[in-house]
Amino acid sequence: MIIFDLRAILLLGSNVLLLFLTLIVNSALSGWSIYMLLLGPMLVFPALYLRHQHFFVCVLCTGLWCDAALPSPFGLFTILFLIAGALIFQLRIRFRADQNYHPLLLSHGINFFCIVIVSISMSTEYILSVGFWLHFLVITIVSHLTLLIVSPWFFNFERMLFALFRMDDEPEDYPTL
Amino acid sequence: MANVRLDKIKPLVALAAFLFAWWAIPTTVKSYLKAGFTEFQSPAWVATSYLDDLEGFWARRSHSKVELIEAGREVARAKSHYQFRAKRTQSLEQEILRLETILNLPSRREFRYEVARVIRRDLNFWWQHIIIRKGKDYNIPKGAAVVFAGGVVGRVIEVNAFTSRIELVTSPNFRMAANFEGDVRPVIYQGVAQSGFGNPIGSVRDAPKDTHASTLTPLKLVSTHLGGTFPAGLVIGQVSWLEPGITGIFQAGSVELDSRLLSLHEVAVLIPLHPINLPSDNL
Repeated sequence: MIIFDLRAILLLGSNVLLLFLTLIVNSALSGWSIYMLLLGPMLVFPALYLRHQHFFVCVLCTGLWCDAALPSPFGLFTILFLIAGALIFQLRIRFRADQNYHPLLLSHGINFFCIVIVSISMSTEYILSVGFWLHFLVITIVSHLTLLIVSPWFFNFERMLFALFRMDDEPEDYPTL
Repeated sequence: MANVRLDKIKPLVALAAFLFAWWAIPTTVKSYLKAGFTEFQSPAWVATSYLDDLEGFWARRSHSKVELIEAGREVARAKSHYQFRAKRTQSLEQEILRLETILNLPSRREFRYEVARVIRRDLNFWWQHIIIRKGKDYNIPKGAAVVFAGGVVGRVIEVNAFTSRIELVTSPNFRMAANFEGDVRPVIYQGVAQSGFGNPIGSVRDAPKDTHASTLTPLKLVSTHLGGTFPAGLVIGQVSWLEPGITGIFQAGSVELDSRLLSLHEVAVLIPLHPINLPSDNL
Protein backbone atom coordinates (compact mmCIF):
# COMPACT_ATOMS: atom_id res chain seq x y z
CA MET A 1 0.00 0.00 0.00
CA ILE A 2 1.37 3.42 -0.99
CA ILE A 3 1.01 6.00 1.76
CA PHE A 4 1.22 9.59 0.59
CA ASP A 5 4.25 11.38 1.98
CA LEU A 6 3.01 14.42 3.90
CA ARG A 7 6.35 16.09 3.34
CA ALA A 8 5.23 16.67 -0.28
CA ILE A 9 2.32 18.79 1.00
CA LEU A 10 4.61 20.72 3.34
CA LEU A 11 7.07 21.40 0.52
CA LEU A 12 4.25 22.47 -1.78
CA GLY A 13 2.96 24.83 0.92
CA SER A 14 6.45 26.29 1.36
CA ASN A 15 6.74 26.83 -2.40
CA VAL A 16 3.37 28.60 -2.48
CA LEU A 17 4.50 30.83 0.40
CA LEU A 18 7.79 31.68 -1.32
CA LEU A 19 6.03 32.61 -4.57
CA PHE A 20 3.45 34.69 -2.72
CA LEU A 21 6.13 36.65 -0.81
CA THR A 22 8.19 37.13 -3.97
CA LEU A 23 5.23 38.54 -5.87
CA ILE A 24 4.36 40.90 -3.01
CA VAL A 25 7.94 42.22 -2.98
CA ASN A 26 7.95 42.53 -6.80
CA SER A 27 4.69 44.46 -6.67
CA ALA A 28 6.15 46.86 -4.11
CA LEU A 29 9.36 47.30 -6.15
CA SER A 30 7.61 47.96 -9.46
CA GLY A 31 8.20 51.72 -9.16
CA TRP A 32 11.98 51.10 -9.25
CA SER A 33 11.74 48.73 -12.25
CA ILE A 34 13.27 45.90 -10.23
CA TYR A 35 11.94 42.39 -10.59
CA MET A 36 13.03 39.15 -8.95
CA LEU A 37 12.46 35.60 -10.08
CA LEU A 38 13.08 33.28 -7.13
CA LEU A 39 11.98 29.88 -8.37
CA GLY A 40 15.18 27.88 -7.89
CA PRO A 41 14.73 26.89 -4.22
CA MET A 42 11.29 25.42 -4.90
CA LEU A 43 12.57 22.30 -6.66
CA VAL A 44 15.58 21.40 -4.56
CA PHE A 45 14.04 19.69 -1.53
CA PRO A 46 11.30 17.81 -3.44
CA ALA A 47 13.98 16.41 -5.75
CA LEU A 48 16.40 15.53 -2.95
CA TYR A 49 14.03 14.31 -0.23
CA LEU A 50 10.96 12.66 -1.76
CA ARG A 51 10.25 9.40 -3.55
CA HIS A 52 9.65 9.79 -7.26
CA GLN A 53 5.84 9.76 -7.31
CA HIS A 54 5.64 12.28 -4.45
CA PHE A 55 8.32 14.44 -6.04
CA PHE A 56 6.38 14.38 -9.31
CA VAL A 57 3.07 15.42 -7.71
CA CYS A 58 4.74 18.17 -5.65
CA VAL A 59 6.67 19.66 -8.58
CA LEU A 60 3.68 19.36 -10.94
CA CYS A 61 1.43 21.25 -8.51
CA THR A 62 4.15 23.87 -7.90
CA GLY A 63 4.54 24.38 -11.64
CA LEU A 64 0.80 24.72 -12.21
CA TRP A 65 0.58 27.15 -9.30
CA CYS A 66 3.35 29.33 -10.78
CA ASP A 67 1.77 29.14 -14.23
CA ALA A 68 -1.53 30.40 -12.86
CA ALA A 69 0.11 33.17 -10.83
CA LEU A 70 2.45 34.53 -13.51
CA PRO A 71 1.38 35.84 -16.91
CA SER A 72 3.56 33.41 -18.87
CA PRO A 73 2.10 30.89 -21.35
CA PHE A 74 0.28 28.25 -19.30
CA GLY A 75 2.47 25.18 -18.89
CA LEU A 76 5.83 26.90 -19.23
CA PHE A 77 6.82 26.64 -15.57
CA THR A 78 5.23 23.20 -15.16
CA ILE A 79 7.35 21.75 -17.97
CA LEU A 80 10.41 23.74 -16.91
CA PHE A 81 10.18 22.54 -13.32
CA LEU A 82 9.62 18.92 -14.30
CA ILE A 83 12.62 18.94 -16.64
CA ALA A 84 14.93 20.58 -14.08
CA GLY A 85 13.51 18.43 -11.27
CA ALA A 86 13.95 15.19 -13.23
CA LEU A 87 17.59 16.02 -13.93
CA ILE A 88 18.32 16.75 -10.26
CA PHE A 89 16.39 13.65 -9.19
CA GLN A 90 18.50 11.56 -11.56
CA LEU A 91 21.70 12.87 -9.94
CA ARG A 92 20.47 13.33 -6.40
CA ILE A 93 22.72 10.69 -4.90
CA ARG A 94 25.64 13.06 -5.52
CA PHE A 95 24.20 15.88 -3.41
CA ARG A 96 24.13 16.32 0.35
CA ALA A 97 20.73 17.54 1.47
CA ASP A 98 21.53 17.80 5.18
CA GLN A 99 23.62 20.94 4.70
CA ASN A 100 22.84 24.08 2.72
CA TYR A 101 25.87 24.16 0.44
CA HIS A 102 24.69 21.78 -2.30
CA PRO A 103 21.02 22.89 -2.17
CA LEU A 104 22.19 26.51 -2.47
CA LEU A 105 24.25 25.75 -5.57
CA LEU A 106 21.36 23.81 -7.06
CA SER A 107 18.89 26.60 -6.38
CA HIS A 108 21.14 29.11 -8.16
CA GLY A 109 21.55 26.76 -11.14
CA ILE A 110 17.80 26.11 -11.49
CA ASN A 111 16.99 29.77 -11.03
CA PHE A 112 19.37 30.85 -13.78
CA PHE A 113 17.92 28.14 -16.04
CA CYS A 114 14.41 29.52 -15.35
CA ILE A 115 15.44 33.13 -16.09
CA VAL A 116 17.07 32.08 -19.38
CA ILE A 117 14.10 29.99 -20.54
CA VAL A 118 11.51 32.64 -19.57
CA SER A 119 13.57 35.31 -21.39
CA ILE A 120 13.77 33.15 -24.50
CA SER A 121 10.09 32.23 -24.50
CA MET A 122 8.72 35.68 -23.65
CA SER A 123 10.93 38.11 -25.55
CA THR A 124 12.83 36.38 -28.37
CA GLU A 125 12.07 39.24 -30.79
CA TYR A 126 13.97 41.70 -28.57
CA ILE A 127 17.04 39.53 -28.14
CA LEU A 128 19.18 41.95 -30.18
CA SER A 129 18.13 45.05 -28.23
CA VAL A 130 20.31 46.58 -25.51
CA GLY A 131 17.26 46.95 -23.25
CA PHE A 132 16.72 43.19 -23.26
CA TRP A 133 20.26 42.42 -22.13
CA LEU A 134 20.22 45.24 -19.56
CA HIS A 135 17.00 43.91 -18.12
CA PHE A 136 18.25 40.33 -18.23
CA LEU A 137 21.39 41.36 -16.36
CA VAL A 138 19.48 43.33 -13.71
CA ILE A 139 16.96 40.52 -13.10
CA THR A 140 19.72 37.92 -12.89
CA ILE A 141 21.91 39.92 -10.51
CA VAL A 142 19.06 41.02 -8.23
CA SER A 143 17.50 37.53 -8.15
CA HIS A 144 20.75 35.73 -7.39
CA LEU A 145 21.87 38.24 -4.76
CA THR A 146 18.49 37.81 -3.08
CA LEU A 147 18.79 34.03 -3.38
CA LEU A 148 22.00 34.15 -1.32
CA ILE A 149 19.83 35.22 1.62
CA VAL A 150 16.51 33.62 0.76
CA SER A 151 17.68 30.11 -0.16
CA PRO A 152 19.35 29.22 3.19
CA TRP A 153 16.37 30.71 5.05
CA PHE A 154 13.96 28.73 2.86
CA PHE A 155 15.81 25.42 3.28
CA ASN A 156 16.04 25.90 7.06
CA PHE A 157 12.35 26.79 7.09
CA GLU A 158 11.52 23.54 5.27
CA ARG A 159 13.69 21.53 7.67
CA MET A 160 11.97 23.27 10.59
CA LEU A 161 8.58 22.25 9.16
CA PHE A 162 9.76 18.61 8.97
CA ALA A 163 10.83 18.79 12.62
CA LEU A 164 7.66 20.59 13.67
CA PHE A 165 5.41 17.97 12.08
CA ARG A 166 7.67 15.15 13.34
CA MET A 167 8.53 13.91 9.89
CA ASP A 168 11.56 12.10 8.62
CA ASP A 169 14.28 14.65 7.88
CA GLU A 170 16.42 12.15 5.96
CA PRO A 171 16.17 12.02 2.16
CA GLU A 172 14.57 8.92 0.61
CA ASP A 173 16.81 6.43 -1.23
CA TYR A 174 19.88 7.74 0.56
CA PRO A 175 22.85 5.41 0.04
CA THR A 176 23.64 3.35 3.11
CA LEU A 177 27.34 2.87 3.66
CA MET B 1 17.74 -6.81 -15.23
CA ALA B 2 15.53 -4.77 -17.55
CA ASN B 3 13.44 -3.66 -14.54
CA VAL B 4 16.52 -2.39 -12.75
CA ARG B 5 17.58 -0.35 -15.79
CA LEU B 6 14.11 1.13 -16.21
CA ASP B 7 14.01 2.01 -12.54
CA LYS B 8 17.21 4.01 -12.93
CA ILE B 9 15.72 6.22 -15.63
CA LYS B 10 12.22 6.37 -14.08
CA PRO B 11 12.28 10.22 -13.70
CA LEU B 12 13.14 10.66 -17.36
CA VAL B 13 10.50 8.12 -18.49
CA ALA B 14 7.86 9.88 -16.34
CA LEU B 15 8.95 13.23 -17.74
CA ALA B 16 8.64 11.98 -21.33
CA ALA B 17 5.19 10.51 -20.57
CA PHE B 18 4.08 13.80 -19.01
CA LEU B 19 5.33 15.87 -21.96
CA PHE B 20 3.40 13.62 -24.36
CA ALA B 21 0.27 13.86 -22.17
CA TRP B 22 0.59 17.66 -21.95
CA TRP B 23 0.88 17.86 -25.72
CA ALA B 24 -2.19 15.63 -26.13
CA ILE B 25 -4.42 17.33 -23.53
CA PRO B 26 -7.04 19.56 -25.22
CA THR B 27 -6.70 23.33 -24.73
CA THR B 28 -10.08 23.44 -23.00
CA VAL B 29 -8.82 21.20 -20.21
CA LYS B 30 -5.73 23.40 -19.79
CA SER B 31 -7.94 26.51 -19.66
CA TYR B 32 -10.06 24.97 -16.91
CA LEU B 33 -6.90 23.95 -15.05
CA LYS B 34 -5.53 27.49 -15.25
CA ALA B 35 -8.84 29.06 -14.20
CA GLY B 36 -9.07 26.64 -11.28
CA PHE B 37 -5.59 27.42 -9.96
CA THR B 38 -6.08 31.17 -10.49
CA GLU B 39 -9.39 31.24 -8.63
CA PHE B 40 -7.82 29.21 -5.84
CA GLN B 41 -5.08 31.84 -5.41
CA SER B 42 -7.30 34.91 -5.70
CA PRO B 43 -8.62 34.99 -2.10
CA ALA B 44 -5.06 35.29 -0.78
CA TRP B 45 -4.43 38.36 -2.94
CA VAL B 46 -7.78 39.91 -2.08
CA ALA B 47 -7.11 39.29 1.63
CA THR B 48 -3.67 40.93 1.32
CA SER B 49 -5.28 43.96 -0.29
CA TYR B 50 -7.86 44.25 2.49
CA LEU B 51 -5.06 43.95 5.06
CA ASP B 52 -3.34 46.87 3.30
CA ASP B 53 -6.55 48.86 3.61
CA LEU B 54 -6.78 47.99 7.29
CA GLU B 55 -3.18 49.10 7.79
CA GLY B 56 -4.04 52.42 6.14
CA PHE B 57 -7.12 52.76 8.33
CA TRP B 58 -5.12 52.28 11.54
CA ALA B 59 -2.40 54.63 10.26
CA ARG B 60 -5.06 57.31 9.72
CA ARG B 61 -6.54 56.61 13.16
CA SER B 62 -3.26 57.73 14.69
CA HIS B 63 -3.67 61.27 13.29
CA SER B 64 -4.56 63.99 15.75
CA LYS B 65 -8.00 65.66 15.80
CA VAL B 66 -6.50 68.93 14.56
CA GLU B 67 -5.04 67.17 11.50
CA LEU B 68 -8.38 65.46 10.81
CA ILE B 69 -10.29 68.76 11.10
CA GLU B 70 -7.83 70.38 8.67
CA ALA B 71 -8.18 67.44 6.24
CA GLY B 72 -11.99 67.68 6.55
CA ARG B 73 -11.84 71.37 5.62
CA GLU B 74 -9.74 70.61 2.54
CA VAL B 75 -12.17 67.87 1.50
CA ALA B 76 -15.12 70.27 1.93
CA ARG B 77 -13.35 72.86 -0.26
CA ALA B 78 -12.58 70.26 -2.93
CA LYS B 79 -16.16 68.97 -2.74
CA SER B 80 -17.70 72.39 -3.39
CA HIS B 81 -15.23 72.93 -6.26
CA TYR B 82 -16.13 69.59 -7.85
CA GLN B 83 -19.85 70.16 -7.32
CA PHE B 84 -19.55 73.35 -9.35
CA ARG B 85 -17.50 71.49 -12.02
CA ALA B 86 -20.09 68.71 -12.14
CA LYS B 87 -22.91 71.21 -12.77
CA ARG B 88 -20.82 72.89 -15.48
CA THR B 89 -20.05 69.48 -17.09
CA GLN B 90 -23.73 68.57 -16.96
CA SER B 91 -24.75 71.78 -18.76
CA LEU B 92 -21.99 71.29 -21.38
CA GLU B 93 -23.09 67.68 -21.96
CA GLN B 94 -26.66 68.88 -22.50
CA GLU B 95 -25.37 71.44 -24.98
CA ILE B 96 -23.34 68.77 -26.82
CA LEU B 97 -26.40 66.50 -26.92
CA ARG B 98 -28.53 69.34 -28.30
CA LEU B 99 -25.97 70.13 -31.03
CA GLU B 100 -25.60 66.41 -31.89
CA THR B 101 -29.37 66.17 -32.28
CA ILE B 102 -29.47 69.28 -34.52
CA LEU B 103 -26.57 67.98 -36.68
CA ASN B 104 -28.00 64.43 -36.66
CA LEU B 105 -24.65 62.92 -35.50
CA PRO B 106 -24.38 59.21 -34.62
CA SER B 107 -24.65 58.44 -30.90
CA ARG B 108 -21.45 57.93 -28.90
CA ARG B 109 -20.67 54.95 -26.72
CA GLU B 110 -21.57 55.61 -23.09
CA PHE B 111 -19.62 54.18 -20.13
CA ARG B 112 -19.99 53.77 -16.43
CA TYR B 113 -16.87 53.99 -14.24
CA GLU B 114 -15.98 51.20 -11.84
CA VAL B 115 -13.15 52.31 -9.55
CA ALA B 116 -10.96 49.41 -8.43
CA ARG B 117 -7.92 49.01 -6.20
CA VAL B 118 -4.72 47.56 -7.65
CA ILE B 119 -3.69 44.50 -5.64
CA ARG B 120 -0.64 43.39 -7.60
CA ARG B 121 1.76 44.75 -10.20
CA ASP B 122 3.75 42.44 -12.49
CA LEU B 123 5.95 44.85 -14.41
CA ASN B 124 9.11 43.78 -16.21
CA PHE B 125 10.56 43.23 -19.66
CA TRP B 126 8.57 40.00 -20.12
CA TRP B 127 5.11 41.18 -19.10
CA GLN B 128 3.37 44.41 -18.08
CA HIS B 129 0.26 43.48 -16.12
CA ILE B 130 -1.61 44.61 -13.02
CA ILE B 131 -4.35 42.85 -11.08
CA ILE B 132 -7.34 44.70 -9.65
CA ARG B 133 -9.72 43.73 -6.84
CA LYS B 134 -12.88 43.55 -8.95
CA GLY B 135 -13.97 40.86 -11.37
CA LYS B 136 -17.14 39.07 -12.36
CA ASP B 137 -18.68 40.14 -9.04
CA TYR B 138 -18.77 43.72 -10.45
CA ASN B 139 -19.60 42.69 -14.03
CA ILE B 140 -16.17 43.71 -15.36
CA PRO B 141 -16.15 42.69 -19.04
CA LYS B 142 -13.13 41.32 -20.88
CA GLY B 143 -11.68 43.94 -23.24
CA ALA B 144 -12.90 46.94 -21.20
CA ALA B 145 -10.76 50.09 -21.12
CA VAL B 146 -8.96 51.04 -17.92
CA VAL B 147 -8.01 54.62 -17.08
CA PHE B 148 -6.57 56.69 -14.22
CA ALA B 149 -6.05 60.37 -13.44
CA GLY B 150 -3.13 60.52 -15.89
CA GLY B 151 -4.99 58.96 -18.83
CA VAL B 152 -5.04 55.49 -20.38
CA VAL B 153 -3.89 52.54 -18.22
CA GLY B 154 -4.67 49.57 -20.44
CA ARG B 155 -7.25 46.94 -21.21
CA VAL B 156 -8.84 44.09 -19.21
CA ILE B 157 -7.52 40.78 -20.59
CA GLU B 158 -8.69 38.28 -17.98
CA VAL B 159 -11.67 38.37 -15.65
CA ASN B 160 -11.93 36.05 -12.64
CA ALA B 161 -14.54 35.81 -9.92
CA PHE B 162 -13.06 38.52 -7.66
CA THR B 163 -10.08 39.85 -9.62
CA SER B 164 -9.21 41.00 -13.13
CA ARG B 165 -5.91 41.13 -14.96
CA ILE B 166 -5.11 44.26 -16.95
CA GLU B 167 -2.58 44.56 -19.73
CA LEU B 168 -0.87 47.92 -19.43
CA VAL B 169 -0.48 50.44 -22.21
CA THR B 170 3.28 49.77 -21.93
CA SER B 171 2.95 46.13 -22.97
CA PRO B 172 4.16 45.21 -26.50
CA ASN B 173 0.87 43.31 -26.98
CA PHE B 174 -1.19 46.47 -26.40
CA ARG B 175 -2.29 48.39 -29.49
CA MET B 176 -4.96 51.06 -29.95
CA ALA B 177 -6.17 53.76 -32.33
CA ALA B 178 -5.17 57.28 -31.31
CA ASN B 179 -4.76 60.79 -32.67
CA PHE B 180 -2.74 63.86 -31.84
CA GLU B 181 -4.61 66.53 -29.91
CA GLY B 182 -6.21 68.95 -32.36
CA ASP B 183 -5.71 66.60 -35.32
CA VAL B 184 -8.50 64.15 -36.14
CA ARG B 185 -6.38 61.92 -38.42
CA PRO B 186 -5.89 58.51 -36.73
CA VAL B 187 -2.52 57.01 -35.85
CA ILE B 188 -1.61 53.70 -34.22
CA TYR B 189 -0.20 53.51 -30.71
CA GLN B 190 1.63 50.34 -29.58
CA GLY B 191 3.46 49.50 -26.36
CA VAL B 192 7.09 48.40 -26.45
CA ALA B 193 9.13 46.13 -24.19
CA GLN B 194 10.32 48.31 -21.30
CA SER B 195 14.07 48.35 -20.85
CA GLY B 196 13.70 48.86 -17.12
CA PHE B 197 15.05 52.22 -16.00
CA GLY B 198 13.55 55.62 -16.71
CA ASN B 199 9.99 56.56 -17.61
CA PRO B 200 7.84 54.05 -19.50
CA ILE B 201 7.65 54.48 -23.25
CA GLY B 202 5.51 53.38 -26.18
CA SER B 203 5.58 53.86 -29.93
CA VAL B 204 3.39 55.64 -32.45
CA ARG B 205 3.21 54.92 -36.18
CA ASP B 206 1.21 55.86 -39.26
CA ALA B 207 1.48 59.56 -38.34
CA PRO B 208 0.89 61.89 -41.33
CA LYS B 209 4.01 63.39 -42.92
CA ASP B 210 2.99 66.99 -42.22
CA THR B 211 2.96 66.37 -38.45
CA HIS B 212 5.90 67.94 -36.62
CA ALA B 213 7.00 67.22 -33.07
CA SER B 214 9.98 68.47 -31.10
CA THR B 215 11.14 68.58 -27.50
CA LEU B 216 10.10 72.26 -27.35
CA THR B 217 6.65 71.63 -28.80
CA PRO B 218 5.76 68.03 -28.01
CA LEU B 219 2.52 66.60 -29.35
CA LYS B 220 -0.05 65.15 -27.00
CA LEU B 221 -1.27 61.71 -28.07
CA VAL B 222 -4.89 61.08 -27.07
CA SER B 223 -7.37 58.26 -27.51
CA THR B 224 -9.97 58.29 -30.25
CA HIS B 225 -13.45 56.81 -30.31
CA LEU B 226 -12.56 54.90 -33.52
CA GLY B 227 -11.45 51.76 -31.69
CA GLY B 228 -14.69 51.69 -29.73
CA THR B 229 -13.10 50.57 -26.47
CA PHE B 230 -11.86 53.99 -25.28
CA PRO B 231 -13.74 57.29 -25.28
CA ALA B 232 -12.08 60.09 -27.22
CA GLY B 233 -9.65 62.54 -25.62
CA LEU B 234 -7.95 60.43 -22.94
CA VAL B 235 -4.23 61.19 -22.66
CA ILE B 236 -1.86 58.40 -23.72
CA GLY B 237 1.43 60.29 -23.66
CA GLN B 238 3.65 62.87 -25.32
CA VAL B 239 5.57 62.60 -28.57
CA SER B 240 8.78 64.62 -28.75
CA TRP B 241 10.06 63.49 -32.14
CA LEU B 242 8.84 61.80 -35.31
CA GLU B 243 10.85 60.28 -38.14
CA PRO B 244 9.91 58.62 -41.44
CA GLY B 245 8.60 55.09 -40.89
CA ILE B 246 9.61 51.89 -42.69
CA THR B 247 7.31 52.58 -45.65
CA GLY B 248 8.39 56.22 -46.01
CA ILE B 249 4.76 57.31 -46.44
CA PHE B 250 4.03 57.84 -42.74
CA GLN B 251 6.05 58.86 -39.69
CA ALA B 252 6.80 56.92 -36.52
CA GLY B 253 8.17 57.90 -33.11
CA SER B 254 8.47 57.23 -29.43
CA VAL B 255 5.74 58.10 -26.90
CA GLU B 256 6.68 59.22 -23.39
CA LEU B 257 4.14 57.75 -20.97
CA ASP B 258 3.17 58.82 -17.46
CA SER B 259 5.66 57.51 -14.87
CA ARG B 260 2.77 56.96 -12.42
CA LEU B 261 1.84 53.89 -14.51
CA LEU B 262 4.56 51.98 -12.65
CA SER B 263 3.03 52.56 -9.21
CA LEU B 264 -0.73 52.61 -9.67
CA HIS B 265 -2.93 52.18 -6.62
CA GLU B 266 -6.38 52.83 -8.00
CA VAL B 267 -7.78 52.70 -11.52
CA ALA B 268 -11.20 53.02 -13.14
CA VAL B 269 -12.62 50.42 -15.50
CA LEU B 270 -14.85 51.88 -18.21
CA ILE B 271 -17.77 49.53 -18.56
CA PRO B 272 -19.77 50.18 -21.73
CA LEU B 273 -23.49 50.59 -21.17
CA HIS B 274 -23.91 48.45 -24.28
CA PRO B 275 -21.95 45.17 -24.55
CA ILE B 276 -18.46 45.18 -26.07
CA ASN B 277 -18.06 43.60 -29.48
CA LEU B 278 -14.44 42.47 -29.20
CA PRO B 279 -13.53 41.66 -32.85
CA SER B 280 -14.66 45.08 -34.07
CA ASP B 281 -13.12 46.92 -31.12
CA ASN B 282 -9.62 45.57 -31.52
CA LEU B 283 -7.49 46.99 -34.25
